[in-house]
Parts: sequence; structure tokens; C-alpha cells
Amino acid sequence: MFEARVAELEALAQQHGLDFFPTSFEVVPHDIMTEVAAYGLPTRARHWSYGKVYQSQRLYGTMGLSKIYEIVLNSNPCLAFLLDTNPEIANLLVAAHVFGHVDFFKNNLLFAPTNRNMINDAIAHALRIDGYIERYGLETVEHLMDIGFALDRHIDPHQGVIRQPYPQRQVVEKERSPQPYDDLFHTPSPSVTYEVVGEHIPPHPEHDLLWFLSTYARLESWQQDVLQIIREESYYFYPQFLTKILNEGWASYWHAELFHQYNGVSPEEMIEFARLHASVVNPGGRLSLNPYYLGYSILVDIEKRWDALHAAGESPLTGRQKLFEVRRTEDDISFLRNYLTLELMEKLGLFAYGRPCTHPPGQHCTQCEHIVITSREQEAVLAALLAPRYNYGVPRIVIRDVLNNTLYLEHLDRATTFLDRRFAAQTLSYIAELWKHPVYLLTGDESGREVSLTGRSD
Amino acid sequence: MAPPWELRRRGLKDSLRHDQRVKEAIRKNLRELIAEEAIITSDGQKRVRIPLRYLEQYRFKYGQPQEGVGQGPGQPGDLLGRQDGDGNGPGDGLAGDQPGELTYEVEVPLDELTRMMLEDLALPWLEEKPERQVTTITHRHTDVRRRGSLANLDKRRTLLANIKRNASRGVAEVGHLHDDDLRFKVWDEHEQKHANAAVYMLMDRSGSMTTSKKYVAKSFFFWMVRFLRLKYQHVETVFIAHDTEAQVVPEQDFFALSNSGGTRCSSAYQVALEHLQQQHPASRWNIYLFHFSDGDNLPHDNAVCKTLVQDLLGQCNMVGYGEIRYKDDASFYGWMGQTPYMISSLQHTLEEIQHPRLLSVTITHKDELYQVLQTFLQPQENAHV
Repeated sequence: MFEARVAELEALAQQHGLDFFPTSFEVVPHDIMTEVAAYGLPTRARHWSYGKVYQSQRLYGTMGLSKIYEIVLNSNPCLAFLLDTNPEIANLLVAAHVFGHVDFFKNNLLFAPTNRNMINDAIAHALRIDGYIERYGLETVEHLMDIGFALDRHIDPHQGVIRQPYPQRQVVEKERSPQPYDDLFHTPSPSVTYEVVGEHIPPHPEHDLLWFLSTYARLESWQQDVLQIIREESYYFYPQFLTKILNEGWASYWHAELFHQYNGVSPEEMIEFARLHASVVNPGGRLSLNPYYLGYSILVDIEKRWDALHAAGESPLTGRQKLFEVRRTEDDISFLRNYLTLELMEKLGLFAYGRPCTHPPGQHCTQCEHIVITSREQEAVLAALLAPRYNYGVPRIVIRDVLNNTLYLEHLDRATTFLDRRFAAQTLSYIAELWKHPVYLLTGDESGREVSLTGRSD
Repeated sequence: MAPPWELRRRGLKDSLRHDQRVKEAIRKNLRELIAEEAIITSDGQKRVRIPLRYLEQYRFKYGQPQEGVGQGPGQPGDLLGRQDGDGNGPGDGLAGDQPGELTYEVEVPLDELTRMMLEDLALPWLEEKPERQVTTITHRHTDVRRRGSLANLDKRRTLLANIKRNASRGVAEVGHLHDDDLRFKVWDEHEQKHANAAVYMLMDRSGSMTTSKKYVAKSFFFWMVRFLRLKYQHVETVFIAHDTEAQVVPEQDFFALSNSGGTRCSSAYQVALEHLQQQHPASRWNIYLFHFSDGDNLPHDNAVCKTLVQDLLGQCNMVGYGEIRYKDDASFYGWMGQTPYMISSLQHTLEEIQHPRLLSVTITHKDELYQVLQTFLQPQENAHV
């Protein structure tokens, strides 16, 4: 019964133009669900930090405080997990939702370079790391992973996972394009110039700290491998981080749409569906906006607007066609910037909140602990929505220079933001531990003055 | 590819490993934990919550609180709530998109924490005395059996038995392990007898003992009491509080004392001396006396104190004196009619006595508490009689 209905929903989704990888569903008990959710993948290299998440999630789940309805993995063929204790109608909703996600994984451009075989690669990673643990000891490997995880968001999605080392120092010949007045200097044309490449490491500010350290720090090959494993898995998760709102909005839009069309459910089930749908796209709390709700609301708004434009002859695309374009080309940052209009913002009642005080952050006043509505302006609300999504949610730190073995890092937005000092100091000593020489970080203090922090390897 | 069995169900393994790291973190940070207010003030509770700053996962993160987006009615400027505590990021209920911001606390039974902190310590110079005995219970492996819990498996003996059995068939090597090869350790409770002991705890409650100084003294006595109750089954404790007058007070009052008045330390020594002569004669008791003060004693009283402490040393196994002296107090001692360059305090007077069993320490910060406990409770030569 359940499987037949999932197949009907799948056919319906295809009819509506959803284009997804073959998807298989696993119906699993609660603690398996929790485990997959804690690790992010069904099997992954072991680390105590996953245990910490698993422990608290399991506790919350057992106490009935939170429930994980679905896990879907970006892979081909796709693997999705459903909860065995859910009523069938809930799992049908989740299945329809999953088809939306898988269509998104397959077609959104940000996901194009992702590793669709990560489920199996992660198993290989886990086996390799288990081998290292056996050879070098749990604490040694664990500590290296602590360091890797401290830096795992400092990657460079523009460069991609697979990178060659910087060019060796060499002199290259370059053909010089003919210039006006060459004839005055008797320069033969075409002439050659010489250029030195690879003189500096790094040749440009390097964002991919994990790649740089695993390539240029003096590490043993197993250490390089551990860092590369963490880096590869981080690249895999990056598009999911950057499309949370759009992806969940898209999947929610589709489970609603498919159930509007589907007539294989009883009236009682339809009421249960409506109740579940309402809870999936519930607005959230006063100070926390549900991303499912935000994405869903924006998509519904886009469809309505483009249907009107199309009817008026101002757009070649219908609302639905526009939605397919959005799912292909946007990430959360561009999605919110392009489509969260002032009208919709007002309709949803959004505001930015923060501290009321205007003094520099280092000082203290009586209002420092207050949280107030700071603005309802479009730019301010957008800025507050986008800031945590920018640069994988971490400050932009680049490697600027290597001089006499000393590594110089730079915090790019130091004029407008500042770092948590204690965390920065510890992270720098992690880097120094890999680099085995002093590491400096140019950053700013609370009032925007430049300061230099040091990390030393002990 | 189906994952091999050792790769499945790792959540439990990793959460056990996490628990293990929590314990290690506590052990490594005893020095800070021992002065942790949350523990000292958890009067009567069996379990304490410890904030685990020590298991944080470091990364570069923003120092300023992030702004957020909310929804609903209201004008700019309307108060929505308050941040809790340290102002590092929004508290509960506020959206956090920052990676890895699980703030974390663990609950540990107080007894276990005490054991971790104080397991290496002991009352020094404990001597055999007639009559009532102080007992401690220890566990000892006393026997080896063929049946038992796997946790108690004696691996070495098991392997030897295995080799022996194989050798009887001509091949002396490890292999073909059989149930008959298994050997288990069996333990017995073992009662260890110590001599009688009475511990006198004296605390200055005068006006000059500020809240933070009193906190140090109380913390010390808190752990002292915990330690005694855990390690020794029968130890008598006597609490004496003093300003210019001293009196014996019940335990719960001792820890809830407010302060006022001047300081005359001799009063406490006098009361202690009289009390122990009546209740705990040195012929039958091991007597320990610990006194905490800021040393800001009435100048003419110091000489009296010296005589009394000398008398006490005649009766006690050990006298410990802790002087809580914060840096900014330094100028304070000039007030006592001495030249401002010569810092005079009770400690200086007592140090003139020069007795090996008079231990005196200076505390300038609450983090030094653990060191002080170690100084006072260092197991000595004839510790276990």
C-alpha cells in the first residue's frame, strides 16, 4: 500500500516536471535516524563531537522534544530515511518532500560539482581513519581531526575540491602583443617578454586554509590524508549550507503541490496532511524564523507575481516556469536578495533585531543585555538574514604570506567585524601546530584598531 | 558497498568517547573547578552541574553578537527580551546560525567529583591511638576463579592457562581459546583501620574579611569537609568562628556566616584549645586544626596568638594557617601602627615559631585553592599506620 502510493506520487512528480535521481527509501527506527542525522552521512569517520550531538539529539528525541522526520542525502542514486514510528500519511508527505529535494540536488547549479558518491567515499574515509587510529592512536588522530574541524569551513568553493599545487618558480616566455609605435623602437614583432611565476607562496590571498596546510605544511602523508578527508566532506556539505532556505522552500512547495493533485488519500488522511503541512511551514518564533516557511512563502509569492506578469504579457515565463529557473540558478543569498521584496517582508512582518546600544562593542551599558527591534528597513532585514550565510558562516581569513617560514594570515573584514579572541588564539595555535613555525593573524579589536595575534607551536 | 560491521552504529561508541573526554576535561581543570562558584554553592545537592568550557570546539568565530531576523508586530526600539549572562551571543530561544555553538553542561555526582579532586590527599602524620578507630574501606583483588564477570577477566592468567592447555597437547602457543581457559579476578572489601581524628576548622568572620575572601575560606572548608566525609568513615569535625570573640558553631551556620567586628585571633585559638582538651585529648585523638584569616589581627594580640599556637602544636598533629591576602590589600597593613614598608600580619608572627608541623600559606587568588589543599593534606611519612 505504502510503496504503491509512493510510486504514484513519484509518477505525479515526474509529470509536473520534477527531474530527480532514482530514489530509494529506508524506513528506520528512531535511534538510527538520530545517528544518521548526527553524523550527516550514514557512515562517517568517528569523532567524539558526533557523539556529543548524537547524545543530545537522542535525549531530546526520547523526551519527545524534537523529531527528525526525514533525512535525504545528495547522492546518485539518492538515499532517503523515513521514521518507522510515523503514521503512513506523514511518511507520504515526507516522500513527496524528498522528491523536491532530490530534484533540487540534481538541478541546482551550486550542486553540479558535488560528489554524488559521497556515501561510499565516506565509508572509505572511515576505514582509512580507523586504520590511522590503530596505527597512531586514538588521541593523536582525534586531535588532528579537532584541528581539521576547526578549519573545515575555510575552503574556497570557487577553486573546487581538486587542486594542483601552485606553479613552481620558473621563468616563462610570453609573446608580447604588438604595441603602437613599436616601429619607432625597432622592436621586432611579434616579440617575447619574460615573466617569473611561482616566486611567491601563496601567489594570491589563499582562502582554502585546509588545502594550503595539507599541501604546504610539513606533514606526514596520513596527516595530509586526514585533513583532505575533512576538506572533501566540507565541500560536499557547502551547497547544502548555502541553499537551506531555497531547498526547503522548494521541497515544501512540492509536497503541497503534489498533495493538491493526488487523489490516493482518504479525507481523514487529507486533514492529517493539512495539519502536518501547517507544522512544517509554521512561521517559527518571534525571534526565530523558520527557513521552510520563509522559502515556501517567497516561492509562492514568485509564482503569483510571474503568473500576473505573464498574463499581462510582460514575461515570457509563467509562474511555474519562473520557479524552475529560480531552483536552477539561485542560492540563498541571491534568492533572498532578488525575491524577498519589501511588500512580502511587510506581509510576513519581518524585522531585524539586535542590541539597542550604539557604543563600541567592547564597552558596557545598562542596555547591553537588551534585545530590541532595530529596523524594518529592507536592507537592514536582508543584511541580518544574509550575514550568517556569508562565507560558510565564518569570518573571512586568508593566508597572505610566508616569510622565513612564518605564516601570515589576514582577517579580511577586520574593519567592520572582530573575532572572539579566545577562540582565535586557540585556533591559531592549532594552525601553528601543523605549520610548526610561528603564525600571525592580522585582525582588528572591538574598536576596529588593527592588532596582530600570534599562534606558536609548543 | 555495504559498510563493514565495525563501521555501523558508531553513535554509541562516539558518545562514550565523548563522556570519557568530559571526565578527562574535569580532571585537567580541577584547579579552576575547585573554585567554581556553582559547585561550592550547591549546598546539599548530590549532583552538580559543571559548565564545560573545556570541551569547546575552537574555530574562528565572530566576537560580536550577531543580529537576527524575527517577525510580528512592533516598532523599532521595542524591547523583545534580554540576553543571558556573558553577552557572548544570544541566549536560548534566539536564532543561532553560528557553527558549533552548543553550550554544554554536564552533571556529575558531587562524590565522584570530590574523589577525582582529592584522591591523592590524606591527613598527614596520622598516628595510632588507642580506643576508637577510624576506618576506610578499600577493594583488593584476592583470588582468581574460573567464573566471573568479563569485566574482571584476568587476561594474563587466561593466556597462560590457554598456553598450558595447548602445551599439554604438544603445541605451546596461544590459540583455540576455550571457556576453561578463562580466569577472573575476584575482589574483597578490605577494611583499613586508622586512628581517631578530630578536625578543627577556624574561620575569621571579622569585618575585613570581604565576601571574596570569605568565599576562599569557605571553599577550602567545603572541600575539606567533603574530603573527610568521603575518605574517612569516622572523623569528628568542630567549627569555630571568630571576630573578637569566638564560639563553636554548627556546620550549617558556619557556612552561612555573615561578617562584622574586629579581629582577635587568639580568641579562636583559646576556644579550640579548651574544646580539644575537654573533648579530644591528644592521648587518644589525632587533632588537626586549620585556620583561615586575612591576617589583619589586632597588633597586640599577635603575641598572645603565638603562645597559644605553640600550646596547640603540643597537642595537635598539625596546625594549618591560611592567610588570604589580595594584592590591593597591601597598603592596608600600614594602618596598624607599623611602618608602611613592613607588612606585618599574623602570618609573620606565626612563622617565627618554626615548627615542622605548623604549615602556613598565603592565598592571593581563589585559583590557588587546590594548591593549598595539596599543601595541607600532603600524605606524610607515617600517614597510614
